[in-house]
Amino acid sequence: MRTTKENLVIAISMALFVLLLSLVLAVGGLGYILPPPQVRLIASWYLRVTFNPFERLFSAMAPEGVTSIVWDFRGLDTLFETTVFYLAIIGSIAIARGVIGGHKEVDEKKLGLSLIVKSVTRISLGMILAVAASIALHGHLTPGGGFQGGASAAVAPLILLVVFSRYFIEKHGITKNTMLILRSIGLFGIGMTAFIVVIIALASGAPAFVFQNQPKTIAPTGMPFEIGGALTGGTLWFFNVFEMVAVAAGFTIIFLLLAIPEEEYKKILRLGGGEHE
Amino acid sequence: MSPETLILGILGFLGLVSVIATFLAIMERDLLRAVLFSAIQSTVYAFIYYLLMAPDIVLVYIPVAVGLYPAIVLFLIKKTERYEGESGENH
Repeated sequence: MRTTKENLVIAISMALFVLLLSLVLAVGGLGYILPPPQVRLIASWYLRVTFNPFERLFSAMAPEGVTSIVWDFRGLDTLFETTVFYLAIIGSIAIARGVIGGHKEVDEKKLGLSLIVKSVTRISLGMILAVAASIALHGHLTPGGGFQGGASAAVAPLILLVVFSRYFIEKHGITKNTMLILRSIGLFGIGMTAFIVVIIALASGAPAFVFQNQPKTIAPTGMPFEIGGALTGGTLWFFNVFEMVAVAAGFTIIFLLLAIPEEEYKKILRLGGGEHE
Repeated sequence: MSPETLILGILGFLGLVSVIATFLAIMERDLLRAVLFSAIQSTVYAFIYYLLMAPDIVLVYIPVAVGLYPAIVLFLIKKTERYEGESGENH
């Protein structure tokens, strides 16, 4: 139980935090005019070169600044963020190793929520996936991108899991292993996209960088930024698509593992190792 | 009132709501309700990001902070006790 004194400490520290933060802003910690009238040098540089056919050597040739920064200007950074996310999922799978989750013979029609909720879910499922796909596939043109689209797409299996039960979705093919395969395809695609310019350049004997998108001074090979007049942003579109697959499948794995009943885990623990090979 | 002042006023109000929701989430001993307060705070933050003209952040913040994160925490609460300090009194 918390005492009144502890409650008081929490309340006072939160109030102090807010007041001090407002004090810093009030005395000009971020400048006196917000937002600042002058765009910072690095920001103006990004705004200038994000889509600039007259400076091809510096440009990412995609009109969406954030995606250009995320997958081109600081692409390696994002690659390792993806790696961190992948390692977290590997960790969860390793913890839940040997837990199969039991394919009990259950009547899945009796599981889950009511018929009304199930019907509404069936209708809205397509919309969720459509929105997610549009966020990811247009990521190089409009706000959004691979992670955003993948996180939105992951909401769909989550809702299915809650509304219909785990047995239902595992019966319909959304199992840990298929999601693992999907996730591996996504990661393989990201890896291949990072090397695609190098592979193209090797064929013609020209030098190239890993994670290169558009042509650079000493590496003249680059991805086409438009196909038939439609902007693709070079590698950005491929990165977004593969990242969406990887993120959506990764989140789904986590949900499937969390949805395994606690008794299954305890059974494994009591057996002392379980049935994993 | 200029539009800019109006937006700054809305931002201030939303910030205040988020502080209150955070406080309630910390104070609440019923963890289910704490997650709901946390989701309210996330929703308000999503509006703030939108008004601060960061649509990329909004698009990742809505599914993660309003959908996936409360769902994961709800799954975890289901595996433990619903009320904070219920059986943890003796340590």
